[in-house]
Amino acid sequence: MQWQTIFKKELTEHWRSFKWIWVPIVFIIFAIMDPLTMYYFPIIMDTVGNVPEGATMDFPTPSVAEAMIMSFSQLGLLGVLIAVVVSMGLVSKEVKSGVYELVLSKPVSFTNYITAKYVAILMLIAFSLAASLLVSWYYVNILFGTISFIQIVVSILFFIVYFMMILGIVMLFNSFLKSQGLVAFLSIITVVALNVVSSIYSHVITWSPTLISDYINVYFYSGQLETEIWFSSVAAVAITVISLIIATITLKNKAID
Amino acid sequence: MDTTVIQLLLPLGVLQLILIIIALIDLRKIDETNGPKWMWVLIIIFFNFIGPVLYFILGRRM
Repeated sequence: MQWQTIFKKELTEHWRSFKWIWVPIVFIIFAIMDPLTMYYFPIIMDTVGNVPEGATMDFPTPSVAEAMIMSFSQLGLLGVLIAVVVSMGLVSKEVKSGVYELVLSKPVSFTNYITAKYVAILMLIAFSLAASLLVSWYYVNILFGTISFIQIVVSILFFIVYFMMILGIVMLFNSFLKSQGLVAFLSIITVVALNVVSSIYSHVITWSPTLISDYINVYFYSGQLETEIWFSSVAAVAITVISLIIATITLKNKAID
Repeated sequence: MDTTVIQLLLPLGVLQLILIIIALIDLRKIDETNGPKWMWVLIIIFFNFIGPVLYFILGRRM
């Protein structure tokens, strides 16, 4: 009941600031930009490239899997950036402006406060991811060849799990920092560090959550789902839960002070 | 340019147009922005795609 009130308040706030429109649109543009450019690359080079007379260039057309992976990797970079920026002020902004004290002057539990905010932003990001990757799948199907619907849906679900972890980390930094910029900066640093470490030791920590996108790529090439992707997803969920618990405890301690 | 090219690129153009329009609507509604409002109008209209995104991220006063 109380949870739903905060959740609904969050959803209306996202809606009023047009997040439900601009985030999906930006994600869609990110996702389809690369496959489209690759497809029209020869034409683009012809019209603006100043190719010297007689020069022949062979551009290998990317395979279906490669084209689809382009969308995923684009979202893995720029999509993560947008997701962090959109969620950087969720708690820190309210703590700074005093709205937070107003909310907690009513008997609101910290767990409800954190989880309701988290689920609301997760819904927005999950929707944007699903919409953009489905649009991209549609384009890839027209331009490059067919990928089965099941394959794309499974990949989207695993990709959402990856973003779940990122949003969890952002919520964690939100709980003890007041500056939005610092929240975004530290979250991105953490995600990048996780990525670097797990790509260096990818043969050792095969369950690292940041390898989810790598396993999705393999899935597109081979059509076979690696078993490790399940361990990575469990690790991602575990990190999310731990982040949210620590965030709740931090807010509780802040209230006592 | 044959018609298939237009059919494929038209949705992209429409999406960018929607982005510009909602950014302008939001700019009209909002009380204060970081920096002068007229500057944001120019950024939103002339910097295709990046302009509205920059506005939503940096322009709205938190």
